[in-house]
Amino acid sequence: MQADRLFLQFIPVLVWAILVIVLIVIMLLASWVLRPHILQNSEKTSTYECGEEPIGSARMAFPYSYIIYTILFVIIDVMGAFLWLLSVSPFRLDPIVAWQTFIFVVIIMGGIGYAMKLLPATYLDGRETLVAYREAKARSLEKAHSPGREH
Amino acid sequence: MIPLSWYLAVAFILIGLGAYGMMVKRNLIRILIGAEIMGNGVSIALAAFALYSPVFTLTGQALIILMISVAAGHTALALVLMLAYNRRYGTVDLGRPISQEEKINV
Amino acid sequence: MQGFESLFESVEFLLIAGIVIVLAYLALEHKEIVYAAFFFGIMASFVAGFFLLLEAPFVAGMQIAVYTGGISALIIFGVLLLPRAQDSTLEAIESPRAKKIGILVSGSIVFLSAILALTFPWSEAIPEGTIESSLDVALLAEWLWSDHGVYVQIIALIIVTSLVGVIALMKMDKAELMKDITGEFGIEAKPLPEEPESEEAPEAEEAAESEVSEEVDE
Repeated sequence: MQADRLFLQFIPVLVWAILVIVLIVIMLLASWVLRPHILQNSEKTSTYECGEEPIGSARMAFPYSYIIYTILFVIIDVMGAFLWLLSVSPFRLDPIVAWQTFIFVVIIMGGIGYAMKLLPATYLDGRETLVAYREAKARSLEKAHSPGREH
Repeated sequence: MIPLSWYLAVAFILIGLGAYGMMVKRNLIRILIGAEIMGNGVSIALAAFALYSPVFTLTGQALIILMISVAAGHTALALVLMLAYNRRYGTVDLGRPISQEEKINV
Repeated sequence: MQGFESLFESVEFLLIAGIVIVLAYLALEHKEIVYAAFFFGIMASFVAGFFLLLEAPFVAGMQIAVYTGGISALIIFGVLLLPRAQDSTLEAIESPRAKKIGILVSGSIVFLSAILALTFPWSEAIPEGTIESSLDVALLAEWLWSDHGVYVQIIALIIVTSLVGVIALMKMDKAELMKDITGEFGIEAKPLPEEPESEEAPEAEEAAESEVSEEVDE
């Protein structure tokens, strides 16, 4: 019982992939043949910044808190995959399955809403830092000017 | 038809590579990549069994789906743990020298 | 036609297997962690080729959507946010003994499981010619959503739990940052007339110091 195997339907994709690879190799070779071969210098290999002198390395540290957005994306991605599986099935309008889908979406959306609500608590923005710094400095100055009052 | 053992051989090679990476490497992100490679090897083995044994087909594919979903969650958690490690110790090196004070506190 | 089909399948299998193993090796051994993360992403999308060979189109789609689109993007983002991970001195292995032991243990894992897998009589355990080809995705959806709907809810709970853990860790991270700002080291290093008392547990530090001195005495 050897019916049509799935990979046989993907032969056009394979042909397309081979075409892409051959095309890329041809383009790279053609540009290598056609371009002028001058020496590499520091002007040429430096980071492109429009009208500015590049300062430092391009690999700088970003605030850690940005990773929360990627994590939210991955969660939505998983939810989308499960809903995709449901969307191809003929029984998706069955009431029990509809209720299950509703609970699934509500659980995940509740988690994402919780994350969005607590987002300011995970994120250190500049204004908050400034306020905290000023308060701490005022505290320390007060302590410095009136020693022994609290003891 | 390809024999089942070919797929199992590829799966075992991937699991061995991932185990090697997890045991030897010092970079935390490299260790995470090793764990993900192991997970991919396991899902290849599961998919092979799912195709070759008739009673296991639906269960095997559904298991792979659940595995991939859990992998998304644990990767997110592992990366944030790495960020916390970096904040605390200033490095992502697992083989860093451990100071005296840290030994006492642990 | 049948001969061409099996030959094509073998060639495709060997091609994908070679690419996947080489990419997995590069993802573990390449010096630049950024390239290693990209190699991992490409490897994950080639593993989807195995799933297509194994008649699992939905699993292949999910592998590409979640592994290539989500997890490898997450790892690349982690590399971006952790510039210390790009330090190439981390790739140096301290002692060749550790590497030897690692190769030995993982090699023995592969060897033992390969012996088990290759000597087991699969052809007797699994009857030949019963392969279901091109499984309908609707059957899978029915198994997962209609017959075993609890699994889906449990997956949702697991994912939300990991999200809660992420939020808790990030809050701890922020608290640590705030301690740097408002603690005794964050204020301008101005010589104060009196030693400012730190709010958080000076006893612990003293205890640690006394323990150190005790150890030194011993």
